[in-house]
Amino acid sequence: MMAAAFPTTTVGSLPKPPYLLEARRKVSRRQLDPAELRRLERQATEEWIRLQEEIGLDILVDGEMYRGDMVAFFADQMDGFEIAGLVRSYGNRYYPKPAVIGPVGRRGPLTVDWFRFAQGLTARPVKGMLTGPYTIAEWSFNEYYPTRRELVLELARAVHDEAADLERAGARYIQIDEPAIHTRPEEDFELAVEAMEIVTRGLNAYTVTHVCYGDVPRIYPAMLRLAVRQIDLALKNDDYALLETFRSPRFTKDIGLGVVDAHSHRAESADEVADGIRRTLEVIPAEQIYVSPDCGLKTRTADETVAKLRAMVEGTARMRRELAS
Amino acid sequence: MQTTVVGSYPKIPDPPAPGRWRTSVEKRQRGEISAADLRRIEDDVTAEVLREQADAGIDVVTDGQIRWEDGLTYFARGLDGFTINGLQRYFDTNVYYRQPVVTGEVTWQAPISVADFTFAAAHSERPVKPVVTGPLTLAAMSRDDHGGGLERVVMALARALNDELRALAAAGAPMIQVDEPALLIHRDALPLFRRAMDVLWEGVGTRRALYTYFGHVEGLYPAMLDLPVDVIGLDFVAGRARNWDVLRQAKFTKELGLGVLDARNTRLETPEQVAEACRRAMELVPAAALHVGPSAGLEFLPRRVARRKLDALVAGVRLAKEGAA
Repeated sequence: MMAAAFPTTTVGSLPKPPYLLEARRKVSRRQLDPAELRRLERQATEEWIRLQEEIGLDILVDGEMYRGDMVAFFADQMDGFEIAGLVRSYGNRYYPKPAVIGPVGRRGPLTVDWFRFAQGLTARPVKGMLTGPYTIAEWSFNEYYPTRRELVLELARAVHDEAADLERAGARYIQIDEPAIHTRPEEDFELAVEAMEIVTRGLNAYTVTHVCYGDVPRIYPAMLRLAVRQIDLALKNDDYALLETFRSPRFTKDIGLGVVDAHSHRAESADEVADGIRRTLEVIPAEQIYVSPDCGLKTRTADETVAKLRAMVEGTARMRRELAS
Repeated sequence: MQTTVVGSYPKIPDPPAPGRWRTSVEKRQRGEISAADLRRIEDDVTAEVLREQADAGIDVVTDGQIRWEDGLTYFARGLDGFTINGLQRYFDTNVYYRQPVVTGEVTWQAPISVADFTFAAAHSERPVKPVVTGPLTLAAMSRDDHGGGLERVVMALARALNDELRALAAAGAPMIQVDEPALLIHRDALPLFRRAMDVLWEGVGTRRALYTYFGHVEGLYPAMLDLPVDVIGLDFVAGRARNWDVLRQAKFTKELGLGVLDARNTRLETPEQVAEACRRAMELVPAAALHVGPSAGLEFLPRRVARRKLDALVAGVRLAKEGAA
């Protein structure tokens, strides 16, 4: 799909600049006009688009300057949800966890305006970024639906409608994040597969799903049945241990290869990145490899993020030269 | 019939109240406050959650595990033979723990949880039950780079944690709860688990409680009644509440930790539902042998919801007692 080998991209979220964090705090205390916050979100989005271009990434993201949590962002705009409160995820990280209290559904497009805005700033492709139905369901309290299955399939229909709207708005790449997909593999993986089929049915865009942490070997090779072109995974986090899993049976989709740890402060070197891609080439052919960080980078500082992404792009460039020679 | 909790309690209050613990951890990470400053904040929050449990009317409380980053690293950091690695999903939850890595002989050097227990006991109107993560769960959720294999790590941990339990007993703990949720995903390890429990509890003169959660004990029951403990805590919510059926397979000969409040869903139980569960349990064990509580630690819920659940618990147990009298 792309001319150069190893297209580079990111997983979606990028750190919010301090002025934006401050503005968000002020709006929550009703000390700032939400319209001013929107303006600053647009400013921060444009800054990240320019920075991604300058770093040399191939497929850009809008950076999600206007999103808080990846589930709450969708839940807040949909019918059937309320925010139950803050729940700890790890360390001192908390997220506003939604509760399903009625029938869920989309009132209208959720991400299309931001996609249009970001794509309008650059000639490079911008990815449409969605949270998948299984993850929205799994990371919400379910007070309403008798079974998780009913909730997941209803959400799948809503996410499909959103993906179709993104495609109509010009998105050539659509990513459906499912970091929760391997939460209960024995019980639920077929449901996750069925839900993804509903989400991507009839789409022409290049589809990606991002899965992170948890026990990936337990859903391999079953995850190759997910109805997407690419599966984006965290490899660096566990020093590419997953490559052993992908030796047999072979990885039949494209892989979004996580080459920098999204939860460490240290910037990887370009050598480390190149070495990771080189090790992957022993298991997965070059034309199936996209290069990205392990996960969304919103918990890093801007400096850490830029250092990691520069190393990623530089390490990838070395491997392109190595491949060409 | 007593009311109790399983362990963790939400560390931060609901917004707009400031999450003091959360911001203090950030300040500590930036070096703006000292370790002693952070410890003082944790003291305050511990006293606050002890008070909240007492106000709700819980008979046997815990310190809320306010100082625990997670159930694994809290102990692994205090033992010799471990380093701490990246984030992993905690069972089928949306909570992540830093994975301990076994890099050498696992040994106990000094008390890990005793000072925290002593503080809590001194600041609580109610008896405080210390909680220790058990050897199988610690071993199964760690990565073994030392190469000893699961059995060797489990037995080394049983010996190491036996020292910890003895130290807690010496500090005056009336009862100690050992958590072993991993037993439910390593059912075939029961013979090893039995040996580990013998070593773990050797010479420990307190009342002994063993808690499992996130699933049912089919396949472990009734064999697990031979374990050297006084109380077995079971989850009557997860695994489609199958424990109710499992317990009919043989007479329950221990005291029963009756986990009936759903610790992982905001849907509130009514006092009548709690009372009904107590009545059902009284068909299996005498009322005096019942420790009624949530299905797991309450930190999966926002603080406000956790508190409301405890109110329902206490009211429900009161109803059941009135009915039984």
